[in-house]
Amino acid sequence: MSAEPNPLTPEVRLEVAGIRKQFPGVVALDDVSLRLRAGEIHALLGENGAGKSTLIKILTGVYQPDEGEIRLDGSPVRFASPRSALAAGISVVHQERNLIPQFTVAENILLERIPTRGVQLVDHAAINRLARPWIEMVGLDAAPATPVAELSVAQMQLVEIAKALSLQARILLMDEPTAAITPHEVGYLFRILGDLRRRNVALVFVSHKLEEVFELCDRVTVLRDGRNAATDVDVATLDRDQLVTYMIGRAEVIAELPPKPAAGEPVLEVAELTTNRGDAALSFVLQKGEVLGLYGLVGAGRSSLAKTLVGEIRATGGEVRVRGVITHIKSFREALEKYRFGYVSEDRKQEGLILLHSVRANTSITIWRRLRSFGQWITRSKEDAAILPSLRQLDVKAQSLGQSVGTLSGGNQQKVSIAKWLAAKAEILIIDEPTVGIDIKTKNALHELIWDLAANGKSILLISSDMPEVIRLSDRILVMRNHAIVGELPNTHQYDEMSEAIMARLS
Amino acid sequence: MQRLRSLAPGVALGLLVIDLVGMVVLSVARPQFLSTYNLFVTGRDLSILLLVALAQMIVLSLGQMNLSIGSIGGLVAIIESGLMVRYGIPVPLALVAGLLLGIVCGVINGLLVYWTKINSFVLTLGTSYVFAGINLGITHATPFYHIPNEISSFGQARVGAFPIMAAVTIVLTLLLAGFLSQVVLGRQLLAVGGNALAARLSGLPIRRATLTAHAISGFFAAVAGTMLMAQLGQGQPTIGATWVLPSFAGPIIGGAALAGGSAPVLGTVLAMVLISLIDDGLVLVSADPFWVQFLIGALILGAVVLGRTRLSDIRALLRISPGTAHHAGSSP
Repeated sequence: MSAEPNPLTPEVRLEVAGIRKQFPGVVALDDVSLRLRAGEIHALLGENGAGKSTLIKILTGVYQPDEGEIRLDGSPVRFASPRSALAAGISVVHQERNLIPQFTVAENILLERIPTRGVQLVDHAAINRLARPWIEMVGLDAAPATPVAELSVAQMQLVEIAKALSLQARILLMDEPTAAITPHEVGYLFRILGDLRRRNVALVFVSHKLEEVFELCDRVTVLRDGRNAATDVDVATLDRDQLVTYMIGRAEVIAELPPKPAAGEPVLEVAELTTNRGDAALSFVLQKGEVLGLYGLVGAGRSSLAKTLVGEIRATGGEVRVRGVITHIKSFREALEKYRFGYVSEDRKQEGLILLHSVRANTSITIWRRLRSFGQWITRSKEDAAILPSLRQLDVKAQSLGQSVGTLSGGNQQKVSIAKWLAAKAEILIIDEPTVGIDIKTKNALHELIWDLAANGKSILLISSDMPEVIRLSDRILVMRNHAIVGELPNTHQYDEMSEAIMARLS
Repeated sequence: MQRLRSLAPGVALGLLVIDLVGMVVLSVARPQFLSTYNLFVTGRDLSILLLVALAQMIVLSLGQMNLSIGSIGGLVAIIESGLMVRYGIPVPLALVAGLLLGIVCGVINGLLVYWTKINSFVLTLGTSYVFAGINLGITHATPFYHIPNEISSFGQARVGAFPIMAAVTIVLTLLLAGFLSQVVLGRQLLAVGGNALAARLSGLPIRRATLTAHAISGFFAAVAGTMLMAQLGQGQPTIGATWVLPSFAGPIIGGAALAGGSAPVLGTVLAMVLISLIDDGLVLVSADPFWVQFLIGALILGAVVLGRTRLSDIRALLRISPGTAHHAGSSP
């Protein structure tokens, strides 16, 4: 408890010790501590379910700890509500944006303190004037009167940071801030966070990307199964392997992927494909039993290419052949039923799964029509028999087929969203960002699974902005930039060599 | 049924207990509750209102609403009675025409919602005035009296305390439950309600699901209108005028998610039983009739609050941490 001001050891701003939080049937946190100094960026790491979110909710007054102590500037505090944590200078920027899209940037920043004149009339001029310094501080390139809906995800994040700063935040918690923004924007965000560090703000940075931790953070605390696996360790003294060992409790073993049969005949041939989304004429070939990587940054046009292939976006020109036959796929249904496409969306919660519904319903959804017997009736036994092989093949962990998918872990949700295409006997799988928001252990399992699928004759178009993932899994790599394919590289699986080659195509 | 129940397990169980307790209390406190006539009248009202509630539930399960259930029921009743009374059309033909009209009204709702993508609340508010307006235009607010005897006697028919009409409701309810849990189109409909985008990206026919839900809604409204006409013995233009509130009360108390994706048939049945018990109980204890509606409202609020509490308790028992339960999926 060294709270004495000392220029060499910066002041401890927040100290959390012996925190325990129990939910019915689960101990979410047990004897957890965290020490946070002014002017440092502190990484908070842990696998999904390790307790990071619960800890953040305790720090921001959403939950109250059952045991333990929180000290702010040396004195014990209790946050009865998010409001009292805010008043104490603790702000959080959540993964999900907490902005009102129809309101302007300035209104969002000053939401709780809208200046008024006369009889409670909103003073728009004052709002814009008061918000401007904060907008400038985070380097947001947008007028105060711009509606938030017109901003990019990265800009919205800056608005949230500006909002936190305007609330005099001295402690800023960033929950996976880089999950949804491009590498370029990440670079910018890191500069802003670096600025805040110099302004003596204490920052907590939650991320799954270890590279970012090494790039940005000073110290690190790792949670595992609700306990501290590492507490307040200097990042400079660690390497990646040690950090992973803290997180998963053992060294990360990235098994060499077993050899798989050579790719077969072309199953999907795309020539000069154009859309009204501004795609340049796109051409490529996907072969049977192959993983074709499609690397590009968010916004490069990868997902719109995928959606064009499955008929969600109308092509305006060019030719698509499936197994040699020219096709004009007009609806997703046709893509699935006639051409055996499967599409694992990047956004599994919005586009892939029905969270409220059971594992069973989410898996069999693609084959209900096939399962019906006389009178459109589907029998439970037939349904289960049809989906169990796929669920077993992917090793989906659920209490029962009736468990609702929303209560599964992210990795298992992703497996269900792949299983439904296996059940549908899809031959061409378009898999968009399969491991976003998924922890290291599960990520590996998903990689092996995708590899297995290809080895068993499925043709896979793997869309990803995760370079290690693309280089590990692909047979060939397409590089996409500004809605054009700017390179096609045979993959040597040598990371340094391949990443350089890819970056060369992108610049 | 198991799957439907699993969507709202606590609600149905809680409602069942409340219903049973209510029945016991009523029969002890007011023995005339168990009189054949009281059971018959209560059961008959319940048969009609349950169909009204299910007509709303099916559209709610799609994540939409139907404010025109009452006007469809009213329009169908006066068209049927008009055909029979004024034009002498044979009873079966008139009934078939009326029920088809209900389906057509539902399909119109569905098509408008699907084509325009305008919120179903707004659209069905509009069609509700249109249907009610046609009703008034035809009848000038005057009932068609003296409908054929086979219809009006059906409205009074009973075996012991059991209203024959209830048989229709029971059959339709079972068919609907089976349809939603085991029939392809029913499950597609629920999937579309649960997440329309994911459903489309799984190859499901969104338009067909939307039209089906609204058509079923129109059909159930038409059957309810026909039954009320039979009970009243005349084609009353005001049939259905008071259905909006019970149509929502049933499914909502029964555990339906307003966002769609759940179709608690059992919960809706039990909720409507509760509402008719409340209604009947207040009559039996001679509550001031002017305060009946207030009391029903208060009891409904109480039941809803109780229902929610129980559900969260059960979630806790199932060991789902509040984090996952409340913001499904926001990963740590």
